[in-house]
Amino acid sequence: MQRDLGAAVRYLPVTSPAAGTTPPVAGPFARWLDRAFVWLAVSPTALTMLLVFGLPLGFSLYLSTEGWSPDETLFGGQFAGLANYAALLTDPNFIDSLTLTLGYTAITVAAELLLGLAVALLLNLNLKLIGFFRTALIVPMMMTPIVAALCWKLLLDPDHGIVDYLIGQPIIWLGQPWTALISVGFASVWQNAPFVCILALAGLRSLPHEPLEAAAIDGANALQRFWHVTLPLLRPYLLVALLLRAIFEFRAFDNVYVMTGGGPANATLLLSVYTYQASFIQFDLSLGSAASWVMLLIALVACLGFVALIGQRETRS
Amino acid sequence: MPTTPHGLFRRQLLQASLAAGAGTAIARPARAQGKPEKLVYVGDNGPWHTCLVNEVAPAFEKSTGIKIDFTLLPIDALGARLKAELSAGEGGIDIVQWDASMAGWVSRHMQDHAKLLGDAASKHPDFEWADFLPAVQGMATYDGKLSGIPYRVTTGILFYQKQLLEQAGVKPPTNFAELLAAAQATTKQGAPGRYGMGFMARQGPAMLGSFTPFLRSAGGHYYDPKSGEIFINQPAAVGALEFYGDLMTKYHVTNPASLTWEFDGIIAGGQADQFAMSVTLAPYGEAMNDPKVSKTGGAWAWSKMPGRDNISQSGTYLAGWMLGVPEKTKNTEWAFEFVQMATSKQWMRRSIDLGNAPPRVSVLQDPSVLTKHPWAPVAGEALKTATLDHRDPLWAAAQLPPRVAISQVLLGQKTAQQALDEVANQWHRSFKLAGLKG
Amino acid sequence: MIRRAPAWRIGRRRGKLIFNTFAYAALIALLVLFLFPLLWIVGLSFKTRMQVFASPPLFIWMPTLHNYAAVLGTGAFQHAFVNSLVISAEAVLLSICVGVPAAYAFARFRFAARGPLFMSLLVMRMLPPIAVLVPMYVLFSKLGLTETRISVVLAYTTFSLPLVVWIMRGFFEELPRELEESAWVDGASRFAAFRYVVLPLVRPGLVAATILCLLLAWNDFIFAAVLTNDATRTLPVLMASYSGDVGVDWGAMTASCVLVVLPVILFSFAAQRHLVAGLSSGAVKG
Repeated sequence: MQRDLGAAVRYLPVTSPAAGTTPPVAGPFARWLDRAFVWLAVSPTALTMLLVFGLPLGFSLYLSTEGWSPDETLFGGQFAGLANYAALLTDPNFIDSLTLTLGYTAITVAAELLLGLAVALLLNLNLKLIGFFRTALIVPMMMTPIVAALCWKLLLDPDHGIVDYLIGQPIIWLGQPWTALISVGFASVWQNAPFVCILALAGLRSLPHEPLEAAAIDGANALQRFWHVTLPLLRPYLLVALLLRAIFEFRAFDNVYVMTGGGPANATLLLSVYTYQASFIQFDLSLGSAASWVMLLIALVACLGFVALIGQRETRS
Repeated sequence: MPTTPHGLFRRQLLQASLAAGAGTAIARPARAQGKPEKLVYVGDNGPWHTCLVNEVAPAFEKSTGIKIDFTLLPIDALGARLKAELSAGEGGIDIVQWDASMAGWVSRHMQDHAKLLGDAASKHPDFEWADFLPAVQGMATYDGKLSGIPYRVTTGILFYQKQLLEQAGVKPPTNFAELLAAAQATTKQGAPGRYGMGFMARQGPAMLGSFTPFLRSAGGHYYDPKSGEIFINQPAAVGALEFYGDLMTKYHVTNPASLTWEFDGIIAGGQADQFAMSVTLAPYGEAMNDPKVSKTGGAWAWSKMPGRDNISQSGTYLAGWMLGVPEKTKNTEWAFEFVQMATSKQWMRRSIDLGNAPPRVSVLQDPSVLTKHPWAPVAGEALKTATLDHRDPLWAAAQLPPRVAISQVLLGQKTAQQALDEVANQWHRSFKLAGLKG
Repeated sequence: MIRRAPAWRIGRRRGKLIFNTFAYAALIALLVLFLFPLLWIVGLSFKTRMQVFASPPLFIWMPTLHNYAAVLGTGAFQHAFVNSLVISAEAVLLSICVGVPAAYAFARFRFAARGPLFMSLLVMRMLPPIAVLVPMYVLFSKLGLTETRISVVLAYTTFSLPLVVWIMRGFFEELPRELEESAWVDGASRFAAFRYVVLPLVRPGLVAATILCLLLAWNDFIFAAVLTNDATRTLPVLMASYSGDVGVDWGAMTASCVLVVLPVILFSFAAQRHLVAGLSSGAVKG
């Protein structure tokens, strides 16, 4: 039990560049073999990526610049340049959806980090039965998201749901704008805080004891030790959790699709739902493709910015 | 087009039936096509397929040796699948199940079913195309081309719990004022758990089905797909939404849980006695009135949607599913054979017992149906004045803004006028875009 | 492994007792928050229709297996279960076979397309599935794959392949380079060194990658919703199609929720132990 959670950190993106020295074997033939080996090792991945990722994405880019309308055949559009992007960025619904998604992402990720970290600190205590708690508290993370969302829909049902019974108030959680947004976000936090918790716990368990002991000897109280010693040491773990959760919350779909469908009055119309509507309900694949490209670019820029920022800080400190 | 579609194929049918009448002894036409092992059916996964999947298909396989391979998808996925397969695919689908609102883009990929009916008339002399409700014949026809045979028809009618209305001392409403009075009386009587009305008001495909009968009965319209003229923010439509919204926000006679109800929600709400009245899909009468699954089983009665001032203004929508044979299939004859079997009098009669709402007059007026499925004749009556839902290519995009508007009005965020003005704005914009694109 | 209590926590006993009491209270509160919803759903799955809709809700009742019988009775569930299993397994197998050598190359060698390729893997990882869904469908239909499970398997590699490469690259990097270098010196080919020296040492990594990919594939909804048909339908898609024209059947729905989630949870617990064993094998440097 001691080190199992340490595994979690192993699948984090490695920010440090991989060591890439030339292999020590000399000779032209061996070098040729080196290159062939690398080529053989990488090409299946490259090919798969091209097939399942490159081609569809390229086609999606093509669609996003086409004037494709619902009564045409799939390849029958005509070049429209950036018209779809212009249509998108002048659609107040899209702009609202974008703002909403950014806010939703920020708040759910913050809540997941706080809750996850708090749970991790508790689980790091040296208590009896802690192994049981460690196992039990990560169960929501394993659940199929669409099933978790269905469960919450039933729990929040205004007529027969247990939540309204327990709080003694007939609140129509999924029928009012703010409560719907909160419910959808809560379902996600409930499910994903354990993920943050696992990462943070892995971090906590790998912390060196010496700085904490030194701080204790210097007379720092628990809060000071946490703030000045533990938290800075946990930073890399938390940053990775932040990055991964932000990517996933930004494209949240399953919980909204099941619980609210984007309503009421567009209160939960996140970008992925907007894109889904554009592609599958309006059948405007051009608009849908443009929307997904905007999403992709935002995610990309945010991630690169984030990684660059961390790199900068790391080199400075 | 001077010749109406109906005229066109009636004439063909006439010729065909003459031919059939002239010689019932005519041998079955030799199959031009080889016999396939299976036919691929693509449709949605609504639970009304029981008859089709469990009974018609096995019977078809028994008599012809051809298996029906059902691909039943969630509705959004079905749209994407058909769109891609029909326009870019290689004829992998033999039988297409399409919704009335898809006609605008599905029709061009379908065969001319008037011709298919004509060709097969001698084989099935008792098929009787005229037995289908005229409005439903129109539903299967687009731009003059009959593009499928209707299998299921849905329309909005008024559901009410008979005894509750009697206890409250009100008659089944025939106009908006009476509807409001009945809703107020039954709400008062049923408080706190049961309200007068229930809507399907979760933001999604169901909410327009809930609102449209009010719109039609108030004399309102969405827009004219030909001219692009927009009616949704004109007084009749605004009045309809105002009344609809007031039932929720001003008079508090609509169950607020409606805001989370879709198709399944309204049934569950009815079964759990959450409202005394609702305007919803006629075939839901089956599940709501079944004592085995419903607390309110046996309590329901039905009538046409009330008109704004009187019952003669009653309007509602007409929607439903067609079974059709696409242009690209290699098995036209066999596929159509299956379609005709599924839509034959006998199988349609059977299907109503298994949750379908078949559009044949002979079924809807069958005495045994009247007693077993009492909502059916009301549906048949309502269909006479029902207006076909939008099915022009613009509708796919145009249906989204009114969903938001209804939601906003039911939440009290906007007045009906403000919300519908916004819809009109968005439509202006998207119609212009569509024009630019096309 | 000995657990050492940090020096700062060794101190007044009473303070510790109070502290522990609070800690347990907090843990139990969290347990309720995280598990009660799930337990309630499990409870619903053992209720009859009348018991589900009883008000006030029943906390003690005579459990029924009726819902499970109904869910398993039609065979649709089992069919989807097998589909989910086969598709997830194939997707993971494919990703592992394709991704592990690439991860090794990324960790050990410098080559021309290394930067861009790794970058695209990152992009693939953060890609909203919705962005490639429709084009992917069109592409697969052109290739005649839409009637098969292959289309879903391929679609799942969009998330499982980058994950495998990510995880495995980390594991490979932690191995000392001397391992292969000495093998090379001994005359082993690149492939032999990789297959017989390196690969056995990263088995814990392979297990971790497999488990995570399996979870993701098993839980996916959106790809499967668009790319599967009746024959290839996976469990999450089946779940989403339960509600419909007959009113929500809470019993059947909760029973199938339990049946979908239970294997994953049991599997994760079992795999957790496996992970521990793998890690304590000492192959991974601390």
